Amino acid sequence: MEFKEVVGRRRSIRFFDPEKPVEREKIQVILETARLASCAVNAHWLRAIVVERDKLPPEKLNQLKTPVAALTLDLAPVHIYFFCDLGIVNKIKGSRLRELVDVGALAPSHGWSHKFVDDFVYPQILEPMTKNLQGYMAAAMADAGGAAHNALLAAFDEGLGACLNTPNPALTSQVLGAPADWVSLWVMLVGYPSESWEAGGQRPRPPFEELYFDGEYGKPFPRDPAVVERLKAAKMIQEPAPLPGRRDEIRRLSEQYGLPE
Amino acid sequence: MGLEKPVAGYATVQTWRKGLVEQWGEEPADFDRRAAMLEGFCDLAGRDPDGMIEDCTREVEGGKRIRIKARREYSEKIAEFQKTAGGDARSQGRAGNIVRSFFIHNGIFMQAGLND
Repeated sequence: MEFKEVVGRRRSIRFFDPEKPVEREKIQVILETARLASCAVNAHWLRAIVVERDKLPPEKLNQLKTPVAALTLDLAPVHIYFFCDLGIVNKIKGSRLRELVDVGALAPSHGWSHKFVDDFVYPQILEPMTKNLQGYMAAAMADAGGAAHNALLAAFDEGLGACLNTPNPALTSQVLGAPADWVSLWVMLVGYPSESWEAGGQRPRPPFEELYFDGEYGKPFPRDPAVVERLKAAKMIQEPAPLPGRRDEIRRLSEQYGLPE
Repeated sequence: MGLEKPVAGYATVQTWRKGLVEQWGEEPADFDRRAAMLEGFCDLAGRDPDGMIEDCTREVEGGKRIRIKARREYSEKIAEFQKTAGGDARSQGRAGNIVRSFFIHNGIFMQAGLND
C-alpha cells in the first residue's frame, strides 16, 4: 500500500475477529517500524510488551480488564503494551547521541562534536532534564507517542486493524512485570477487523485552518483545494463518516458478539 | 424491593429510551421487555433507576464525574444479575447487556468481556 493510502485507511478499529490470529511476522513488522521512528537524542524511550491474548493465563487477562476496558481485550488477539522507559537517558548517558556523531548523522556543519556531546549534552542538558519530571515526562512521552504511531500505521499497512487504548497503568505494570522506571503509555490492540475496513468512514476532524497557522498564530495556513483533490486521488482523504449502512453494521456486530445496544 | 412508580416513569429510563432512538434511528420495539429486565435488576440492586445513576455520578465544578467505585460495584452486580437470568449463556449475556445499555445511555461508560 502506498504511504498516503495507509494514512487514509488508518482509523481506530474496535471490532476484531477474535478467532483470527495475527501472524508473528506482522507483529515484528509493527515493532520494527516503531524502532525506526524519529527520536530525540537517539534515546529511544518506547518499550513494548507483546501479549498474545490466548497465551496469557486467563487470570492475568482478567486482571487487565476494567469496567471500561474489557471487551476490546477479549476481541483483539494481540495486545501491544507500550511503555516509556524514563530511566534510559541516565543509563546511556548520551552514548547513543555520540553514535550519531560517529556515523555522520550529526556533524560539525551543524555545531556537533564529540566534545560537545561528552562534556555538555549529557551532564549539562540531559541529566538535569531528567530531574525536572514534568518537563522530562512531556518530552519522553511525546517521543514515545511518535514511535507508537509509526507502529500503528505499520499495522494497517500489513492489512490489520488496530486501536490505541489507555490501560490502567498500575495494573499493566504489575501484571506484565514492567520495570519500575517504565511508565505505561498505551495498549495497541491488533487483529483482523470484523468490521469493514472503512469502519464507517474517515473520522471527523477539526477544520484544517483551525489547527495550522502560516507564519504566526491567528493566520490560518491556507488549504489549497487542488492539494486536497490530489490527496483524495491518492486515497489519503477518504469518504467521511458516517458511511451509509454503518448503523446496520454496528447492530450486526453487536448481535454477533452479544454486545449492548 | 418494588419501585415506587412504573419503571418507564423514571427520568433515567426516559433518557435511556431517547438514547436508543438517537443511536438506532427508531423506537426500540421491545422496550417494555427491556424496561422489565431493568426492573428486575433494580430489585437485585435495591435501588430505583434514577438512584443507580445518581450513585454512579457526582457533581463537581463544571459538570459531572463518574464515581469509579460505584461503577465497578454496579458492573459486578450486573455480572451477578445475568448469572441468575434464565436461558442459555447467550440469553444471560443479553440480559446483562440490557442493563449495561441503561447505564451506557445515561453516560456511564462500561464494557464487559465477551464471556463475562
